[in-house]
Amino acid sequence: MPYNIAMISDFFYPQPGGVESHIYQLSSKLIDRGHRVIIITHAYDSPSRAGVRYLTNRVKVYHLPHWVVYRSTTFPTVFSSFPLLRQIFIREQIQIVHGHASLSNLCHEGILHARTMGLRTVFTDHSLFGFSDAASIMANKLLKFSLSDVDHVVCVSHTCKENTTLRASLNPLSVSVIPNAVVASNFRPLQPHEVKTPQLYGDKGLLLPSPPDPSQPLGPGDPITIIVISRLFYNKGTDLLISALPLLLRMHPNLRFIIAGSGPKAIDLEQTLDSLPQQLVYLPSGQSRVVLMGSIRHEEVRDVMVRGHLLLSTSLTEAFGTVLVEAASCGLMVVATRVGGVPEVLPGNMTVFVLPEVADVVRGVTEAVGLLTARAVRRDRFHDQVRMMYSWADIARRTERVYDLITGSASAEDNSEYYNSEWENYGQPGTTQSFALIDRLKRYFGCGVWAGKLFVIVVVIDYLIYCFLELAYPRHKIDLCKPWPAARKDKGVERGGEVEGGEGEVVAVERYGTVRQKAHAPREVRREKNAGAPVVVTGLGLGTTG
Amino acid sequence: MPPFEPSSASQSSRTSSIQSEQPYSRAPSSRHLRPEDAFPNTSPPYQQQRSRSPLGRSDTVTAATAHLVNNGNTTNATRKHRDKRRGRSSSRRRHRPWKKLLWVKQSYPDNYTDEETFLDHLQRNPRLQPYEFWTLVADSTIIVQHVCSVIIFVCCFTGIFQERVSPNAVVGWATFGTVAGWVLRDYWHTREEVEDGGVVGRGDGLGELGEEDVDAGTPASLDAGFPPKEPPLPANGLHSRVHSRNPSLTSVSGLQQAQSPPLAASADLHSPPVPSPTFIPPYNSRKSSLSPRMAERLTTAKSAILIYFSLLGLSPILKSLTKSTSSDSIWALSSWLMCINVFTFDYGAGPEAKFPASLSTNAALMASTVLASRLPSTTHVFSLTLFSIEVFGLFPVFRRHLKHHSWPLHLALTIFLIVLASGGLGMVISGGGLGYAVLGVALGGVVTLLGMGATSWWLIGLQRYKNEIHGPWDPARPVIRRHWD
Repeated sequence: MPYNIAMISDFFYPQPGGVESHIYQLSSKLIDRGHRVIIITHAYDSPSRAGVRYLTNRVKVYHLPHWVVYRSTTFPTVFSSFPLLRQIFIREQIQIVHGHASLSNLCHEGILHARTMGLRTVFTDHSLFGFSDAASIMANKLLKFSLSDVDHVVCVSHTCKENTTLRASLNPLSVSVIPNAVVASNFRPLQPHEVKTPQLYGDKGLLLPSPPDPSQPLGPGDPITIIVISRLFYNKGTDLLISALPLLLRMHPNLRFIIAGSGPKAIDLEQTLDSLPQQLVYLPSGQSRVVLMGSIRHEEVRDVMVRGHLLLSTSLTEAFGTVLVEAASCGLMVVATRVGGVPEVLPGNMTVFVLPEVADVVRGVTEAVGLLTARAVRRDRFHDQVRMMYSWADIARRTERVYDLITGSASAEDNSEYYNSEWENYGQPGTTQSFALIDRLKRYFGCGVWAGKLFVIVVVIDYLIYCFLELAYPRHKIDLCKPWPAARKDKGVERGGEVEGGEGEVVAVERYGTVRQKAHAPREVRREKNAGAPVVVTGLGLGTTG
Repeated sequence: MPPFEPSSASQSSRTSSIQSEQPYSRAPSSRHLRPEDAFPNTSPPYQQQRSRSPLGRSDTVTAATAHLVNNGNTTNATRKHRDKRRGRSSSRRRHRPWKKLLWVKQSYPDNYTDEETFLDHLQRNPRLQPYEFWTLVADSTIIVQHVCSVIIFVCCFTGIFQERVSPNAVVGWATFGTVAGWVLRDYWHTREEVEDGGVVGRGDGLGELGEEDVDAGTPASLDAGFPPKEPPLPANGLHSRVHSRNPSLTSVSGLQQAQSPPLAASADLHSPPVPSPTFIPPYNSRKSSLSPRMAERLTTAKSAILIYFSLLGLSPILKSLTKSTSSDSIWALSSWLMCINVFTFDYGAGPEAKFPASLSTNAALMASTVLASRLPSTTHVFSLTLFSIEVFGLFPVFRRHLKHHSWPLHLALTIFLIVLASGGLGMVISGGGLGYAVLGVALGGVVTLLGMGATSWWLIGLQRYKNEIHGPWDPARPVIRRHWD
């Protein structure tokens, strides 16, 4: 049964990031499955985003006016967005409110108000938190408040599920694990025709080692390029990288490094490189063995990745590790620290897991280099394998099942056959939440000795505001939004993100806001699409203001 | 030492958040999953091989799988095979164990919670050390000492303020104590160096370097993981000659086959082990006339004199600094500052910490500065300020050293301070004479002992509520050991 879904989060485009692309891809695929999805976020200043916008594939985005405090998180006013959210929920006839990211204040407000209005709520957690420091304790308390009345929670990995279950004292049966995915067609290994044209990366490409030819097998002494793509922060393990780098350079004279990303630790990294002897960092030809690229856009990640053989991730905490999947999809062997959800993400033949110790990182890279040189891994098959493992269509299907579970309605046809009948009602009792105010208050009251009482007061006030709003802005006076006209099948496919141009040639609108044309995609499709679309496509700004 | 030998220390310090290797180990076993498990296009022999492996089903990928399979066997055959498998009883599928993996398609629902593996990496109170009562009581003496010294300071101020005590007497006794403490510390240093010299010289000769060594010898580049190319230069013959001024060092360092580098000029500074490949003996050019020990003594004396005279010069200014502020505000302000001092003091610092908890020290000095403006003359102000520097700046350093070197003396000092503080408090509160002091000592001693015992017992009781949760979600603590050769 098709639902009207509102995705709500502080984090959305034009700001780049993992949560942002998750929301967009999920919404887009849910629309393909016949649902109506809107995204609610706050207004962005530069580039300016305010009001209502349509994105590719009929995704409608509401940018609410809000005061942004810190790193695009809005100021935590508990009640102030209620009138606006209520108008949107009624106008769009929302049935399910799906919040994202535990640090997003707007998401928590949306969930609270949605429950007051009697809507179903789902929350997706994208990150891991500890329990020991003061900030975490505070955040966990608030999460407990917000999630004590949520219908279902989605986590991106099993480790994340354990973490969230503990943090918010949830019933594990009402927590699902649905991973992130990658758009595999955006992360393809180097194609044979690209080997001829090494200008993959514009001007900077000249500085980089040329991409290895996938058709040529790797000899024992051939240069091996290690890619590091991470923001250079402490919790990304940059210290490990800095300490391991000289040892690796010394042990393996054929190693090259490409390090993409910026952050506070960039200076340490540069200082380390400067302090090393010249013959270690530079080749006899004068080329540097370690190339620091600074931060790169997400669109450029693939072009950097295909220049390497190995991806090294030294992160100290990671809920899912999308970059690992992207790298494997590009055909890279992965060396990653065994932290958080990383061990669940990729099979053992693509990865070498290491401990977060310098010696072990060196050991892992040596092992991976050995595997590559011995041709023990079939890197050419990685892409297809990853494509089988992670796809957004699959993620959307599984998310839809969560919606079915909380609304208690029957699954769609292609969704119901995935599980045996014995799993039909698994976790059902834990997920039905009563809307009666007294039941909600009971749940909030259990949050803690003092916090429980405080939360109950908040909920009661929220309910009173709701009653007031019902009087002040009566429901029947709010316009209902007309649904997007149901597209004809052929047209819908064309707009809908993917154009099947033959076997495996999935290209057209691949990424949010960027119409990408692969060289071999049919030209007519694009022209017609541009002509047919109501707006001009420029950069990230794809859409009209409604 | 081979470069990457994982030492036992690094093993034991491995972070708790690292999951055990076992579930995901790469060892080729029949239980090990392969990427092919994500989609059922496996050829028959492979499948037989791992009859019990948790084969994921993946109907998401039917169309795409067909393409993949094309290279090996025919599409039709696989499809048929899969259909047959799917047709088989679902009871067989139920026995397939659930795996804590994301990449494998499993026939379990997404909210499936496996009773066996769910939260199996959770650790509660992993590093819990149950407290012992007497250890706690012994440790609480540090806090008692500091609180007592604060009380003594307040009592002295009150005495000076009420003109019952002469400021000169107070500061005279305090200065005497300070000098005595410094002499004692100096003696310990010398003794420690002699002892260390015997050990360090043969072992890791690069263990401790004084601050001048760090300045002189080691560029930052050495942080980067490079072992010294050559062993330390055999320039050490010079050392023993240089050091031979110091009688206590001569005999020892002469025996050491010229291996020992100059030891820490001040043992306060234990710099991290920094090797210096091109090792230059730092003293032979600069301070050839004096041993480092003597040089340090001179430096200390110089700074002491400097502080003394600048304080003397500043006293008139300090006296009138907060004169316009009303006394009530001064009492309130200094009380708060003293509280800050007590609560932010670094009670855990060892003898190597030079000035820990600068907030605490600064708060105390500021309190004494504002209090000084209530005093009648410049001499009073000077005495009080000097006294506060001695009590809050230097006395904690001495106490740390004392505890480090001699436990009985530490205990004796504690008792002495308790007696002094409670006696002073008794006299100040009552306004009376020595009899009240004795009463104060009796009361204060009992209260302090009871307080120490009760708080320790209470803390042990509170341990029941300790619930520290660790798991794979915690940020791992990286082990960055620099291997030098």
